[in-house]
Amino acid sequence: MNPVISVRSLTKTYHVGEHQVHALRSISLDIYPGEFVSVIGPSGSGKSTLMHILGCLDQPTSGQYFLDGRDVSRLSDDEISLVRNKQIGFVFQGFNLLTRTSALENVELPLLYGTGNVSAAERRKRAMAALESVGLESRWDHHTNQLSGGQQQRVAIARALLNNPSILLADEPTGNLDSKTSIEVMEIFQSLQRERGITIVLITHEMDVAAYGSRIMTFKDGNILTDVANDSRRHASGELESLPIAVEEVR
Amino acid sequence: MVLPNTLVIAWKALRRNRMQTALTMLGMTIGVATVLTMIALGSGAQRAIQDQVKAAGMNMLLVTAGNYQAQRERPPDDAIEMGRLRNPETEHLQLAMFHPEDDPFAVHDHPTSRQRLGDSEAGLGAAATLTLDDAEAVREIKGVQYAVEGVHENVHVASGDTRWFTRVHGDGSALPEIRRSWRFTHGGFFSARQQRNKEQVVVLGSIVAEKLFGDKSPVGETVSLWKQPFKVIGVVTSANWMVTPEAGDDQFDAVYIPVTTMQSLLNLTKLNDITVTTESTGDVTRVAKTITTVLRSRHGIDTNHPDDFTVTSQASKALLKGGLRPDVAQAVTGNVSGLEKITLDQLGKTLDKSSRTMTALLASIATVSLIVGGIGIMNIMMLSVTERTREIGIRRAVGAREKEVLMQFIYESVTLSVVGGLLGILMGVVAAISISHVVQWSTSVSPFSIVLSFGISAAVGVFFGYYPAREASRVAPLTSLRFE
Repeated sequence: MNPVISVRSLTKTYHVGEHQVHALRSISLDIYPGEFVSVIGPSGSGKSTLMHILGCLDQPTSGQYFLDGRDVSRLSDDEISLVRNKQIGFVFQGFNLLTRTSALENVELPLLYGTGNVSAAERRKRAMAALESVGLESRWDHHTNQLSGGQQQRVAIARALLNNPSILLADEPTGNLDSKTSIEVMEIFQSLQRERGITIVLITHEMDVAAYGSRIMTFKDGNILTDVANDSRRHASGELESLPIAVEEVR
Repeated sequence: MVLPNTLVIAWKALRRNRMQTALTMLGMTIGVATVLTMIALGSGAQRAIQDQVKAAGMNMLLVTAGNYQAQRERPPDDAIEMGRLRNPETEHLQLAMFHPEDDPFAVHDHPTSRQRLGDSEAGLGAAATLTLDDAEAVREIKGVQYAVEGVHENVHVASGDTRWFTRVHGDGSALPEIRRSWRFTHGGFFSARQQRNKEQVVVLGSIVAEKLFGDKSPVGETVSLWKQPFKVIGVVTSANWMVTPEAGDDQFDAVYIPVTTMQSLLNLTKLNDITVTTESTGDVTRVAKTITTVLRSRHGIDTNHPDDFTVTSQASKALLKGGLRPDVAQAVTGNVSGLEKITLDQLGKTLDKSSRTMTALLASIATVSLIVGGIGIMNIMMLSVTERTREIGIRRAVGAREKEVLMQFIYESVTLSVVGGLLGILMGVVAAISISHVVQWSTSVSPFSIVLSFGISAAVGVFFGYYPAREASRVAPLTSLRFE
């Protein structure tokens, strides 16, 4: 099987004033379809920079990045935009939803871009389906500021999944969420991996969140410290059932 | 038609910031409304002036002796020899009316006016077919307000050693009634009695007065024409700010004497022209026809011969000024002959001058207002790019191309300017109409100015929206996502 993400000698150097910050020092890695990779490391270890480069939001200083066998550095801005639109879904710590916009309109955003003209009715139908899959169909017309953090993150996940991407990149998705909501988000991620075979790269600095992944990569000072299969994987669905009913979120 | 997605996106983005959108549109609305109202007021004023100036001349007819058109035509088969009469039945009358001095080929057995008065210029170019009795007959026609006789010559006017070569007009005393834009700086015009008594009195045009007497009042002084003494009784100048007396013009670089005095001195019986005004402007064509009929019958011209005079209306002049083809204009004004015989008059020149000034003034006001409105849009769009960096980042992350972000922002600014502009047009039209109702100013909203306002608002949107939009499209996806 060919890796969906393949990185060779990837380097990223930032210039902050007169200082040079080496965010990534010659990283090489392969991620295969269907993997759930947790990237863990302290702040400034380069894990977020890696995610930005993998998501084609940033360019490396040197090195190569092959996405599905294509050299990303050779792609035009339009082609990269299309990659972000079709192949990659993003979930951010800060949700990054459009303010003063309904959940539904946020979810259908990817359909407004990219190739193929989707009719308004079709957009709505697919966005509703995506909202249903994260259990928020009843709140489709709520504006983002009327939703709780967990709900906002689920809207963001619905948006990320709308174009059926092969890769889901999540940057600290549980960073702003309480533990129960975090488990709920992790359950969604695990079921996506399990049922749709989506490749997931999860960036986190918490070991207990990273433990939901099938493979754990540890970063430090721009280098990969360890890269191992997760033997003691946590399963969110089982944990949810054992939680006390008292903290059940009002849907 | 399926709207482009980016247009839908732009519309939704504008709806998200309703207040900001409304205020920016308001800026544009007021700008366009101001421009439209300005143009409406300006062109209304311009039209009012035009109407007035035209009205002053529209009821005017000029009957000129001779018919240069007829000269070009092939003479009729039964054309008579020179000196023979056209109509044998009126032979005696015709002979009596034909003055020997009017015939340039005649050999005179008495001293000509030139010899009698001792001025070699006297009596030149006075050949004519119109008489004082013709003028009297015209005056009798129903609908005619004034009929003023005119004999015109070039002359040297002298006061002491100062001489000035100018035009002398022998006119009827009613001339000031026709020349509505006249103002007498000193004295006045000669009276009907002075005309009857053939008194040697003269009214100077302001240019002549200035050349001969400088700043001091010439009234009471004596000037000489054809070496004969004339008493100055008035000085005339233009009362219309659009008509400035100039050396060489026919009105104010001229002197006026009673037509009877001129005829008697120059031994003339004929007139160069008769200036006629009608009671009402709409009556001009009918009166022109009647004059033609009356004069033809008085001159004994049968149907086989052309007129020996020309009737020109100011209306036909105005129509020709408007760029109409002479045959079309002819059809409009009726069969007024000699329509092509148009010289550029002061009316046309001053109208052109005033409308050019007005247009330039309005254009500059309009430009300033629209630039201000455009900068308002640009300002908001620039702010909006900074404010919405995060939104741009989100859009880029879900797959928006640079071009789509660019188009979204251009669509937004164009929507702002065009919707604002449309409201402005509405407001401007309403304002123009209410102004003309409330203050009784004349306004004129032309479809052209509406189309122009709309076009300009769209152009403003594109022009002032492009730079912010380009800035927006160049925001790197990553930096915009980090932007808090």
